[in-house]
Amino acid sequence: MSTATTDGAFIHPALFYRSAAEYTDRTVAFVREGLAAGEPVAVAVPGPNLELIRAGLGTDARDVTFLDMTEAGRNPGRIIPGVLRAFADAHPRGRVRIIGEPVWAGRSAAEYPACAQHEALINAAFEGRPVTILCPYDETLLAADVLADALVTHPTVITAGSERVSERYDWRAVVARYNEPLARVPDADVLRFGPGQLPEARRFAVDRAASLGLTGRRLQDAELAVSELTTNSVVHGGGSGTVAVWAEAGQVVCEVRDGGRLTDPLAGRRPAERGQIGGRGLLLVHYVADLVRVHTTEEGTAVRFYLGVGGTLADSSPK
Amino acid sequence: MDGTGAKGDPARARWGALLDVGPLPGRPGIRASGEITVSTRLSWENALTELSRRHTDVSYVELSEVRFVDVAGVTALAVTALNLPVGRVVVERPPPQLPRVLDLFWPSLHRIEVAPR
Repeated sequence: MSTATTDGAFIHPALFYRSAAEYTDRTVAFVREGLAAGEPVAVAVPGPNLELIRAGLGTDARDVTFLDMTEAGRNPGRIIPGVLRAFADAHPRGRVRIIGEPVWAGRSAAEYPACAQHEALINAAFEGRPVTILCPYDETLLAADVLADALVTHPTVITAGSERVSERYDWRAVVARYNEPLARVPDADVLRFGPGQLPEARRFAVDRAASLGLTGRRLQDAELAVSELTTNSVVHGGGSGTVAVWAEAGQVVCEVRDGGRLTDPLAGRRPAERGQIGGRGLLLVHYVADLVRVHTTEEGTAVRFYLGVGGTLADSSPK
Repeated sequence: MDGTGAKGDPARARWGALLDVGPLPGRPGIRASGEITVSTRLSWENALTELSRRHTDVSYVELSEVRFVDVAGVTALAVTALNLPVGRVVVERPPPQLPRVLDLFWPSLHRIEVAPR
């Protein structure tokens, strides 16, 4: 793989693989190449694949940071701030090397658009930085349109061990395509709020979320997230909005709609500096939620976040 | 210290929530009751500015009567603590959002000590 370089460019290849043996061979070679060059290396992939790489590396695994992507990257929207930039920013000198596998066969239909947008936005987040991120895709299990999207979100692709330029690379197109309308849910409880009703909007969402089974820290997280989104509506989104809450496939979903438009595609995906005053609201929503979906147009914005009921998996959050 | 009303008068802010904040009797620091949100941000930040101006070694922030604090409210406290030249801030009995937000954004901020509810 020709992923080694000495200049400061961002390198972001997709790795298409067809077997566990091929996966192990290519990822282990990629990690060893980085270690040999003295680069800090992190691996963030689903648990079983983590074990393949760990076993393949043997004692070299000691020098690598491992993260289970199904936990650290459960919500694709927090992978850039909580996983990729967290590691890259902690190693500011020289090139940093990461394997990131955010798309796996178990991703739901609600999750996939956020996965594709995340893969696209990596290109914006790391432009001009000496970082190499290899993204494995399982060719035998993933749908054809998922693999087709990977050609649009990655400047190069590695198949059967050879790397080529992707002629279809155009990450902005994927961000736009998956900015999909979020259909209103008929049986959701909805409250309209204005500038004077922020406490009421928050309490409404908490009461509904609790009645749908959310408890403990997850309920507190819902309250914080709704507070941040409704505050954004009042301050930046035209001064008013609606909050809706419903249950969907074992999760509680909260949605805030307003008349504003999100123009910065990386909003909520930049890690906050310690002394920074603002800009943590959407980041908090990404950190605490299992999934965040956004639809934003000239007519308004809908932000929807999902929290699992009773799951311990989703209790994880990046530090 | 409230900046929006006479002493002891809860400030009915323009956006719906109430915050009563003032000096802590007998100890250096402040106490607050109500909600710390965008509606009451100014009172909270003014109180923190005053705390920081009078700070010497340890300042106390008593929050047992605060029902909710948002991310910007915790941020204002954290940034105030970060900018203190010496000493620390002890936050007493805060609502659950405060340790949660500190843990997410300032996981090792030694200048703030939290005494839980």
